[in-house]
Amino acid sequence: MDTRADALIVQQVLAGDVDAFAVLVARYRESCARYAMHMLGNREDADEALQDAFVRAYRALGRCEDPDRFGAWLFRILVNRCRTAGARRARRAQTFLSDEGALLSASEPHPAEQWAWREEIERALSALPAEQREAFLLKYVEGLGYDEMAELTGVGVSALKMRVMRACDRLRVLLKEVRSA
Amino acid sequence: MPEIDHNKLDEVVSELRRPTPLDASFDRRVMRAIRAVAMRPLRLISPLMPMPRWRVWSAFAAVAAGMLAVSVIPAFRSNPAQPVQFVLVAPEASTVQVVGDFNGWNARHAAFAAENRGGGVWTVTAPIPPGHHRYAFLVDDSLWVPDPTAPRVADEDFGHPNSALVVESAR
Repeated sequence: MDTRADALIVQQVLAGDVDAFAVLVARYRESCARYAMHMLGNREDADEALQDAFVRAYRALGRCEDPDRFGAWLFRILVNRCRTAGARRARRAQTFLSDEGALLSASEPHPAEQWAWREEIERALSALPAEQREAFLLKYVEGLGYDEMAELTGVGVSALKMRVMRACDRLRVLLKEVRSA
Repeated sequence: MPEIDHNKLDEVVSELRRPTPLDASFDRRVMRAIRAVAMRPLRLISPLMPMPRWRVWSAFAAVAAGMLAVSVIPAFRSNPAQPVQFVLVAPEASTVQVVGDFNGWNARHAAFAAENRGGGVWTVTAPIPPGHHRYAFLVDDSLWVPDPTAPRVADEDFGHPNSALVVESAR
């Protein structure tokens, strides 16, 4: 595993070593993929948003003000890409479909019951309004504080707390409905 | 404000935190896209960074203000490449770089880094081979600016305009 600090890698890329960027891709792809997948709900859109985020990060690398926090900066780009992709998808009026291929190819085998549970969660998550889904994922799955979320999204802390609360309430209802069906 | 207070939601979070596998070819595809970008002009208009139009004056405004605004001046002739002076008036700029097909659109080519001559007038003289060329100014590593006084040509790859330059062979 490459242990070079992000800032050093950024410096090398800016000096012309394009291949050094591959280290950053390998370092952040999984955490970013998790967010994109949960936010967009299918592998194709998530893959596209993630690739777009990395390419945009490369193009704007010279403007990364704190290269030691490259991951946080990249994540901000990804959140914006997911918003754009989500809006585009909404315009196309696509129906959410759980990405069964991604689930089946998970590195850790899932027992059938757990797989079904995961599918229920993904479906419930997809039923949330995008802004609630975003707030819920950032708060509880990515573990960000509200101040970080506000900086990342440009939304006020109070509004974010409200979105998270509503997302939690909605998820409880949706998952209860599934279990009682 | 209530936090997650239900066991089921704790389970949800636990499940959602599991790693999401990526296609094995993901890294290869991303790096292929990035290498392609590295070979081309940078795309400079990011949704995070809207274009600050006020930052670069057009040469016409500079002329009106009585400031120097020269576009491309062949300084003298030699063979095979000829020194060409590039000038941009950009009072708010911190850096100005000339990028074009003659330097591989390299945004960090030292020979094409313009110097601030005062009053926001940035100039650099660099050897350019005879022929037809496309070029632009890169301001602050982020803003793509065609030469305000040169003819423009569309960029078929990225959609933003570049400037045209014709360098004649020395006789």
